[in-house]
Amino acid sequence: MDRALACDPVFWHPVVVQMPDLQALQRGDAAAWDMAFPWLWPAAFGAAQVTLQPYLPAEVEDVAIESLEALVEKVRELRSVEELKPLVASIAHNRAVSRLREWFTKTRGEGRTESLEAVQEAAGVDCPDPLAGSPLAVLEQKELAERLSQTLSELKPPQGVILTDFFLNGLSYEEIAQKHGFPKNSVGVYLKRGRETLRRIWGRRGEN
Amino acid sequence: MNDDQFLDLAIKAIAGRATEPERAELDGLVARHPELMAEFERLQADARLAREVLPLVSATEATAPEMPAYARGRLQTKVRETLGRPPVPEDDALGKLWKWRWMLGLAAAMAVVALFLLPALSRSAPPMIQVAMLDTAGATRGSDTNETSLLHQTWEKATVDSFTGTDALHAWETSWPAHNRRPVVKVVFDRAAGEVRILGRWKGESFTKTFLVEQDLAVTLEQAKSFIKQRTSQ
Repeated sequence: MDRALACDPVFWHPVVVQMPDLQALQRGDAAAWDMAFPWLWPAAFGAAQVTLQPYLPAEVEDVAIESLEALVEKVRELRSVEELKPLVASIAHNRAVSRLREWFTKTRGEGRTESLEAVQEAAGVDCPDPLAGSPLAVLEQKELAERLSQTLSELKPPQGVILTDFFLNGLSYEEIAQKHGFPKNSVGVYLKRGRETLRRIWGRRGEN
Repeated sequence: MNDDQFLDLAIKAIAGRATEPERAELDGLVARHPELMAEFERLQADARLAREVLPLVSATEATAPEMPAYARGRLQTKVRETLGRPPVPEDDALGKLWKWRWMLGLAAAMAVVALFLLPALSRSAPPMIQVAMLDTAGATRGSDTNETSLLHQTWEKATVDSFTGTDALHAWETSWPAHNRRPVVKVVFDRAAGEVRILGRWKGESFTKTFLVEQDLAVTLEQAKSFIKQRTSQ
């Protein structure tokens, strides 16, 4: 394992990470995997959680473990260690979507009358049906992993945090500028570039 | 009107957080500048994309939470099952099928020979047991001491060699006494892999078995001991 100081491209916090040795992993070195699994776990868990948390929170851990198992099967296809996290996140995302589809089908098949809205209300959430017209849910796992990788490398700091504050946290230009100490017009520039990056990578299908 | 003001109002409206006066202000802006309707629709599409993509991107880069301890054994088993041996090229698949047929034939023949010869064979002498512990990650909170003493308790007459690297362990594993008249068995406790491996030689044959430390090392060592007894008493 090589120690490296990396910079989180989305949240812009420098973090000390231990990059796994890909060749050791491909050889099936137990000690290398012992260090890689905890390093990969947050990506697998987080990706599963994004989809399952509102509906099947108890399934999140199971999907994360299954995704790491699936990663073991694919590790010999990889060429660089940077592919590991996007790959496991894409596997976890697609497995979570499949799990959710199975659950909806089963629920309907058993003649249960509860609607998606009722489930969301019971879970105390208000979010769109992730299975209806989701641009991510229709992507093949390989394509999803490639786009995730591309986003991580092209969404330059602080575009990620500004997009998150604007679209997910609902902050205004002024609030974002104050929060991060940027001039207000810089917020607009970062936001414009971030939107263009997202559109360029995710707004097209079947071109990769 | 400036772009920032329009975008702030538009994103509030898209998120359903705009107040009545803000909604009216936005409608007024779009009425006065019809070209803003296209920008509003683009922003709606971007907002949907951002809501889907950004959580997944941030999850990919997350550093928490910690992996639950129970997952480790299951995942290491998967590593052993999947990567335990080098990949076989597709061209070799047919050859491998033939090898399996030979091996099955050989196994059947050996079973027949063993069936007739076993009664004639005398019981073997007690095995020579060699024990080693591989600890690549380093000891924590005295756990290595407890584990070493468990190994000593299980095989009282054996010395326990400790290794921190796989190369030295490999040399130890491949070093066997010549012309031995009793079974020789090597026991390796691999802390990182959470497993106990048995490698044995007796009557010109080799045998191996791996036991996963699923709950308790002492239980696993007892299982390993029973296996050794069974294999070396034949």
